Amino acid sequence: MNIETSKESTTMVVKVTGRLDAVTSSEYEQKFNALIADGETMFIVDLENLVYISSAGLRALLATAKRIKGKKGLVSLANIGGSVKEVFDISGFGSIFPMYNSVASALTAVTG
Amino acid sequence: MQGSKSIATKLILVITLCSALIFAVTLGYNYYQSRLVLEKELEKNARNLAMSLANRVERELVSVSKVTDGVARSLETANYSETQLHSLLQATLANNQEIYGAGVAYEPYAFRRTSRLFAPFYFRKNGKINLIPLEASYTDLPYVYWDWYQIPGELGKAEWSEPYFDEGGGNILMSTCSIPFYEASGGVRHLKGVVKADITLASLTELISSVKILKTGYAALFSRNGMILAHPVKESIMNETFFSMAESRHDNALRQLGKKMVRGESGFVLYKSEGGTRNWMYYAPIRSTGWTLAVVFPEDELLENVRKLSLTMAAMGLGGIFLLSIAVIYIARSVTKPLRSLVAVTEVIASGNFDVELPSTRSSDEVGALTNSFRFMITSLKEYIRNLTETTAAKERIQSELKVATDIQASLLPRLFPAFPARSEFDVYASMDPAKEVGGDFYDFFFIDEHHLCFLIADVADKGVPAALYMMVAKTLLKSEGQRLGEPELILSCVNNILAADNDSCMFATVFCAILDTRSGEVRFANAGHNPPVIIAMDSQKPQYLALKAGFVLGPIADSVYNAERLTLKQGDTIFLYTDGVTEAKNPEEQLYGENLLLQALQDAPKGNLADLIHCIRSEVNRHANGAPQSDDITMLAITYRGAGAAIKEN
Amino acid sequence: MNGFPDNKKRGKQPWFILLLFLFLVAQPSCTLSASPSPRLKKASFLPLWTPQSQFAGYYVAFDKGIYSRHGIDLTIVKGGPGLSPAEALRNGEVDFAVLWLTTALQHRDTGTQLVNLSQIIQRSSMMLISRKSSGIRRLEDMNGKRVGLWGGDLSIPPRTLFSSRGIRVREVLQSGTVNLFLRGGVDVTSAMWYNEYHVLLNSGVDRDELNTVFLQDEGVTFPEDGLYALENTVQKDPLLVDAFVNASREGWQYAFAHPEEALDIIIKYMRQAQVPANRMHQKWMLERMRDLILPCKNPAAFGTLDKQDYEAAGRAMQHEGLIQGYPDYSTFIRRHNAGK
Repeated sequence: MNIETSKESTTMVVKVTGRLDAVTSSEYEQKFNALIADGETMFIVDLENLVYISSAGLRALLATAKRIKGKKGLVSLANIGGSVKEVFDISGFGSIFPMYNSVASALTAVTG
Repeated sequence: MQGSKSIATKLILVITLCSALIFAVTLGYNYYQSRLVLEKELEKNARNLAMSLANRVERELVSVSKVTDGVARSLETANYSETQLHSLLQATLANNQEIYGAGVAYEPYAFRRTSRLFAPFYFRKNGKINLIPLEASYTDLPYVYWDWYQIPGELGKAEWSEPYFDEGGGNILMSTCSIPFYEASGGVRHLKGVVKADITLASLTELISSVKILKTGYAALFSRNGMILAHPVKESIMNETFFSMAESRHDNALRQLGKKMVRGESGFVLYKSEGGTRNWMYYAPIRSTGWTLAVVFPEDELLENVRKLSLTMAAMGLGGIFLLSIAVIYIARSVTKPLRSLVAVTEVIASGNFDVELPSTRSSDEVGALTNSFRFMITSLKEYIRNLTETTAAKERIQSELKVATDIQASLLPRLFPAFPARSEFDVYASMDPAKEVGGDFYDFFFIDEHHLCFLIADVADKGVPAALYMMVAKTLLKSEGQRLGEPELILSCVNNILAADNDSCMFATVFCAILDTRSGEVRFANAGHNPPVIIAMDSQKPQYLALKAGFVLGPIADSVYNAERLTLKQGDTIFLYTDGVTEAKNPEEQLYGENLLLQALQDAPKGNLADLIHCIRSEVNRHANGAPQSDDITMLAITYRGAGAAIKEN
Repeated sequence: MNGFPDNKKRGKQPWFILLLFLFLVAQPSCTLSASPSPRLKKASFLPLWTPQSQFAGYYVAFDKGIYSRHGIDLTIVKGGPGLSPAEALRNGEVDFAVLWLTTALQHRDTGTQLVNLSQIIQRSSMMLISRKSSGIRRLEDMNGKRVGLWGGDLSIPPRTLFSSRGIRVREVLQSGTVNLFLRGGVDVTSAMWYNEYHVLLNSGVDRDELNTVFLQDEGVTFPEDGLYALENTVQKDPLLVDAFVNASREGWQYAFAHPEEALDIIIKYMRQAQVPANRMHQKWMLERMRDLILPCKNPAAFGTLDKQDYEAAGRAMQHEGLIQGYPDYSTFIRRHNAGK
């Protein structure tokens, strides 16, 4: 798994590449905890290049989102597709997170 | 031991050979140079010695020839009466002790017209001076035909005769100096006679014979004919000439050397003696007689000191090299001894014993440093192994605890099959293989009332101990709430709300919960984010995934809404529940087993016995995994509806 | 005949003869070989010169007891300068002597009845030697040159040669040494092949520096050493004469068969006679004696005086006016072993 971050005005765009599973989810959480500690509250998680997400990965997404919510922040997801989309559908996660077809539309929605 | 041997041997070999080589070269050079210097010195000494001896001989001869010449000149300038002549000769002899005999020999009728020959000769005998009239004593061959008279007469110049033994047969060498004198008449010089002076060569040959050079070196005197006059070999004196010696030795080089001597040359030569020894010879002429004086140095004796010195040096050098070798052996031993001890200690350490005593080091050299490093290494190793032992013990403890946990978890799930031997309306079978010691998956089935069987499968997010703990809670809640509420959607939302409280870590579980009416085959079910089950219908060729509403996972968010759905199983239909551990089992190429392969496997699997079905799928998954480690819990549950009639029939 | 470099004495020979005699009597080995048997006949013998290899046969026969074995108690009188063997024979001082044929013919001509018992040396060994550097290459070149000649009988052969060739030389009487020639006092020197020639070589003159003329090659073939006795002696005891000749011949044969031993013997007698003894020189001399005594043409002719050589010598001497005449060959020689 690889995580890239970029700041778009007040929003932090986090691009997750590879697999998000039991092994990598703690890393994902740590990264987000660090960003939260830096005072970031608005996140867009770009999952375009995420090839696999396990239940542990879902838990990490959920846990970080919950923590950000506690900070009056918001996590939006962008570019979910393929098998990851199936997992989201099956598990019902799709109804929990605001999801967008692109980072741009997510940004518009968030900042707008 | 081998190592120490080779180090010591190498050191000894290299050092000994190198020092021996250096020493040999030095010694050889020293010998060569000393020899050159000696030879130069020798030539100088030989020349000086030969010259001084030759001068000594020359001086004596010259003084005699001067006296003789004086007499001859007197006889030329004045006419001497017989009496005056006798007086002259007597005075000459009396005044010149080195002269043994002196005389004047006249040409026939040159002294007196009346007598043909006249030759008064005075000589010493017993301290007195005696007269011999040579014209009377030379009866057989008149004096005019003797060499001492004839040669200077014929040549018209002073001559020293070839040496001869004295008349008394006393083996005293003599030589005669003869000088012709002339009378001028009518402008023509006529030979009038010859003045002769005899000398004994005894003192000269004694002087020469007494010269000792080194041990057997000597001086020798040769006549103008090469005759030996003085030589350490007495038998050769007056018997051998240089040339007869050369002839007897078949040595032409010697003959050529003799010819050089006879010609009055001087030189420094190396020649081989009869015995084969090499001798240096310096020879110099005695001008007045044409004799040759030679000094001979045997090369061996000359070089003896150099040789002795070289031998002594060689002996000292060998001794030195020997001592050096001993020193090298000692050093090599002292260097390798601690090394050998270290080797021995290392072997003990290698066998696992860290409590050996290291050899004590006094030196602060490399070996000492090595020993200290060893000591440090041993300490570090001991520390490391102690830590490792502790860690391993801790890990083993955890492991054994996990093992207990595995057993506990396993014991929580209904494992006894057939689970309800009294109920023929359905068959049920399930299995759970945790990926780790404890898993997050679980299944359960229980009767809510006599006709309603609740069965469910769940997958707690993540694995391991946290998942197992969560699973315990979820399972307990699901069973207690299931029995209380009796409706799947109520069970799920109720349990969700309980779990969502204080769930900071957002642990969750996907759950498929269903209730089978054993009388009708109707199944009411609700789903909390779980994989859709497979329906294997008796009247359909292919198994199919059950299309259902997703529903949010159980746990993270309170007040999630779950929808109840229903379906009816016909007699013989089977519902197959599984967790994603089945479809997401990976092979070494990271390929997932997947929904399609599962459907295919279910279609091909043996029907009739659920245990066989599940074991078949399990082995198919294993086959797919092909040795790749199991990454997730693999849980399956299957129920086949046999129909209510079956129970009635049995009853 | 001349000894090796020797300026030796004169007038003292009786002393030496006595010494030699005493020595011979006192010599134990001699006593053994010449055992004092009453049957031994006393006889005396005078060689031409002091002991040297020229007389090796006689000294070897004496030393090895060959004379004693032949019944002779022989005394070898030491020869030397001033001692004329012919006169010693005539005066009856010795019974046997070595003479040159020319000497014997001269003395026979003057009335001494000498008889040739055996001709030891078969030819002339005399030579005339010059230095090549003097330009004298051939006999003819010697005309007008200073030529060293020995006095007495020894001058006969060269004089005969010069006379027959019409060569006039300036004669210089030479002594017993080669020094006069070596120092340049004469241009040509008389030399014996077996003696002076080698003395010259041993004085440092190389062969190729010398020009040599053998009288033999020039036709002067006067045989040299022969054994002689007075006719009286021969008639008185022909068996003694035979024994002497046979023993002498045996001595020569032994000497040639055992040259090293012969040299040891001759050098021993030279030392006793206090004359210089050079082994290489004596060796040369013995080898030349072998060449001169054993002519290769006829080994059986040992000791035989060739009649032609005899008459040639006689004719030449008569022609030179040295002798009036010479006796018939058969009366001059004594046939070998005629006493038996």
